Amino acid sequence: MSQNKSTWELAEAYIASSLSQGEVGELNARLASDIEFANEFNEAANLIRSMEGNGKQKRFRSMLRDIHEKQTAGKVIKKGLNIVLPAHFWRTAAVAATVAILTSTITIWSLKPRLNKSESQYNNISREVKDIKKVQAQQQATQNQLIQKVNKNIPAPPPSDVKYTGTGFALTNDGYFVTAYHVISDEDSVYIQDHDGDYYKAFLVNFNAEADVAILKVEKKNFRFSKGEIPYVFANSKAGLGSQIYTLGYPKDDMVYNEGYISAKNGFQGNELQYTLALPAGHGQSGSPVIDGKGNLLGLLTAVGSQNEANTYAVSSKALLELLHTIPNANSLHLPRTNKLAHLSRESQIEKMQPYTFSVKVYKK
Amino acid sequence: MHSPINTEQQLLAALAAGQRGATEQLYQQNYHIISGWLIKNGGSAADAADLFQEAMVVLFGKAQDTSFRLTCSIGTYLFAVSKHLWYKKLQKQHKEPVYLLENTGQDDEDEGAGYEEDVNVHEEREAHYDQLDSALDQVGEPCRSILKAYYHHDKSMQEIAADFGYTNPDNAKTQKYKCLARLRKLFYTVQAK
Repeated sequence: MSQNKSTWELAEAYIASSLSQGEVGELNARLASDIEFANEFNEAANLIRSMEGNGKQKRFRSMLRDIHEKQTAGKVIKKGLNIVLPAHFWRTAAVAATVAILTSTITIWSLKPRLNKSESQYNNISREVKDIKKVQAQQQATQNQLIQKVNKNIPAPPPSDVKYTGTGFALTNDGYFVTAYHVISDEDSVYIQDHDGDYYKAFLVNFNAEADVAILKVEKKNFRFSKGEIPYVFANSKAGLGSQIYTLGYPKDDMVYNEGYISAKNGFQGNELQYTLALPAGHGQSGSPVIDGKGNLLGLLTAVGSQNEANTYAVSSKALLELLHTIPNANSLHLPRTNKLAHLSRESQIEKMQPYTFSVKVYKK
Repeated sequence: MHSPINTEQQLLAALAAGQRGATEQLYQQNYHIISGWLIKNGGSAADAADLFQEAMVVLFGKAQDTSFRLTCSIGTYLFAVSKHLWYKKLQKQHKEPVYLLENTGQDDEDEGAGYEEDVNVHEEREAHYDQLDSALDQVGEPCRSILKAYYHHDKSMQEIAADFGYTNPDNAKTQKYKCLARLRKLFYTVQAK
């Protein structure tokens, strides 16, 4: 008699189909008439089904593991093929990455899109402007040209297409700025597009291809990034492991903020001029400033690791300062000396940074 | 050892029942294809083992429904599910930036379309089982061990009665029902969270 059985016992027997026809009839009648009982019964039955399903799946998984172990026992396990690039081949790597990018646009239909770059552990993160982006950039350029024609007398960017974009930041307020060398390495002309959307032509002052740093200057006479002084200072020594850092960059036309921390004191393959960062970064963010919470500029972004190691690499400010000292008029440069960010909230820091962080656009005829 | 099973539908039924012979056969026919593909695409041998296991569990889950009929071969199904699982995993890990340049996202969407639903159902079920496991961890002894012995390790009530010192299987069974009642309470609080 099902009245004498507990709900659990009934649910278990029901699932196992071990109830007699009479008992099933009785159960159905009770389920139809007693809502409270029906709810309880359903919950019980669902839980038992889940327990059985989960248990069955667990046994299946452990059997699979066992089969796998037996089948692979004694066999040499092939490791994934990783091509490791020596540190001094960055420039080659940058070129190779460029070639890979160009090739991938052609072979994209035959190769699996997200995976075909896995051989390279090191990806430069300048952004190649693809067709859609090109259209957008052209549209924006046209818009800007129009606005500029109306408002200002600033030279508009050349009509040729934007080839690569990166990010740059000010070194001195009178127009010296920094970006990653690979961004501008095969330039015909370089423009920066500041926060207000204005374009300014720039020329290359000096670079260190191995360290992936370039110093450029805006051509325009009496140029100022902004009225105030540059709010950050350049760190003389390397910051410690675990330092909280953030970055501002232009992976798209709007400025993007990302934060993270220094995850290793040296960079790709122990490179001492670099940091390894745990920081999300995308294409177009090469050259982005890396700043700690107190307004010290620690370096600039150069590359991200492959999919297996989610690292981002930054060139340290030390490498940047070393390069700076090699330019002829280094002594006459007025590097920022006062840190105006130290006591500000993150939001205000970003606001202060904005005029000094901009998109770098590389054109090729 | 079972003799090789010939039709794919029989193979599926045997897999659904958790038969080792069928599972081994599927492993031998398909593992090297999937692991070869994965290693070529930047995965490791350990990734391959995990991925294959996950795809097999998806198939195992589908095969529990006796009305399930494959519209392609088991091998094709496992391969497609594996690819879909792998891309999903990559996406989760990276939130995309590395792939911005190359990500057209078109051809694998076409490929994964039929299997996306199966993978989603699988993930939901996994989440459900995870909740169940965490409720089970909170249920306390001897309930946790009794329920695990019965449901996870497929032991009979006789064995459980003997192992846990109950005088007869019926007493053990009464205890099991009490444990289930306790688990139900915990489980629905976990779920409500």
